[in-house]
Amino acid sequence: MDTETGGEKERPRDDEIQAFHNQIRAADAEKLEFVGDKEPLSVLEDEYKAGSAVFLAKLQILKENYGSIRRARGDGNCFFRSFMFSYLEHLIVTQDEAEIARVEKSIEICKQTLIDLGHAEFTFEDFLGIFVEQLQSVIQGKETSISLDTLVERCRDQYVSNYVVMFFRFVTSGEIRRRAEFFEPFIQGMSNMSVVQFCRSSVEPMGEESDHVHITALSDALGVPVRVVYLDQSGDINDKPVTVNNHDFIPEGMDTSVDPYVILLYRPGHYDILYRRENPANVEPTILEQKN
Amino acid sequence: MTSRARLFKEYKEVHREKGGDNDIQLTCDDTNIYRWTAYIKGPVDTPYQEGVFQLAINVPEQYPLVPPQVRFVTKIFHPNVHFKTGEICLDILKTAWSPAWTLQSVCRAVIALLAHPEADSPLNCDAGNLLRSGDNRGYRSMSQMYTRLCAVHPNAGRPNSS
Repeated sequence: MDTETGGEKERPRDDEIQAFHNQIRAADAEKLEFVGDKEPLSVLEDEYKAGSAVFLAKLQILKENYGSIRRARGDGNCFFRSFMFSYLEHLIVTQDEAEIARVEKSIEICKQTLIDLGHAEFTFEDFLGIFVEQLQSVIQGKETSISLDTLVERCRDQYVSNYVVMFFRFVTSGEIRRRAEFFEPFIQGMSNMSVVQFCRSSVEPMGEESDHVHITALSDALGVPVRVVYLDQSGDINDKPVTVNNHDFIPEGMDTSVDPYVILLYRPGHYDILYRRENPANVEPTILEQKN
Repeated sequence: MTSRARLFKEYKEVHREKGGDNDIQLTCDDTNIYRWTAYIKGPVDTPYQEGVFQLAINVPEQYPLVPPQVRFVTKIFHPNVHFKTGEICLDILKTAWSPAWTLQSVCRAVIALLAHPEADSPLNCDAGNLLRSGDNRGYRSMSQMYTRLCAVHPNAGRPNSS
């Protein structure tokens, strides 16, 4: 038997594939930073001008409460990246030192969870360290304090941004496995995988997209309430009124009326950061209303 | 450089656990912490039993965000190892990589791959075809032969010159 055949001569080597992959990513990076600049919500109107009527109708409703978005790069890490920026920005704005102390305690618990699950500390401590560093720099008046502009820069920095995303992935995976019984039905419902397989293939690797399960786990583990506003095609333009669905992820033990610290806009397959209107009472007349 | 710091931690861990894992001998190049060599034992009750296989591990700068490059130096007949280059087809070395893995646990995963060949999407089509056509005996005898030829003492772990 000739074991040398198989027609793989043309096959690129691993490092060539990796180099190609890096090239694609670099090309993407030129199109959009990990997190973009804050933009008025009207940019979405332009984007969907020729789009579906349901989308446009929902956008109008969205504008009643929300004023701006900040885009995240669509590289499979957009939920974690949006969460990172949105949460740290919330802390810079509120200067809520008690919240930082609280989340640091949650991080200690996450760390213990990972150790209990058999992770060697050295495998995640660098990632944890980078996130804690960011937390400690958002309170003003210290030598290490950073401005909002610096926060934007850091969230765009390959190293800081990816390390924090990776830390969140560890936390998410740890929380899902710690409460495997709770998460199992959701995971089975969408993937037919065991909890451990799911964490290994859909949570821990960079670039794996997030959904309900990931958001619930991260929000619970860190104790950070998250709102996701869904801008999708569901509903019929002829059914009045068209509504925009929201889902608030409120960590256990927290008052359900709490104002979420992190607000994300979900469009099928992608998360961006959403901002409340500064003055929600004053809504401009909408294109749709004018038409009607 | 964080990759360097992480590799030093792994280096310490490997030394602390020396003797803990008899099936894996992992060493770092004296002058370059980004280059490692592993000797792994073929798992029992497989055609690779009694073989010792050398792996060359090349760690990229962005490690551990990206996986190490691992290949067999010792020739091996296995559906998921390229017969000529020694390249390994294993999800955790590609898309399913995460920094939760270490060089040591990667070696364990490679040993597990030896015990559980994945005949679909093979890198070695001959080995894959034998398994897929149900010719277990053919696969065992071929892989055993190469284990004896290339991976058993006194050639243990040496690259095959063929």
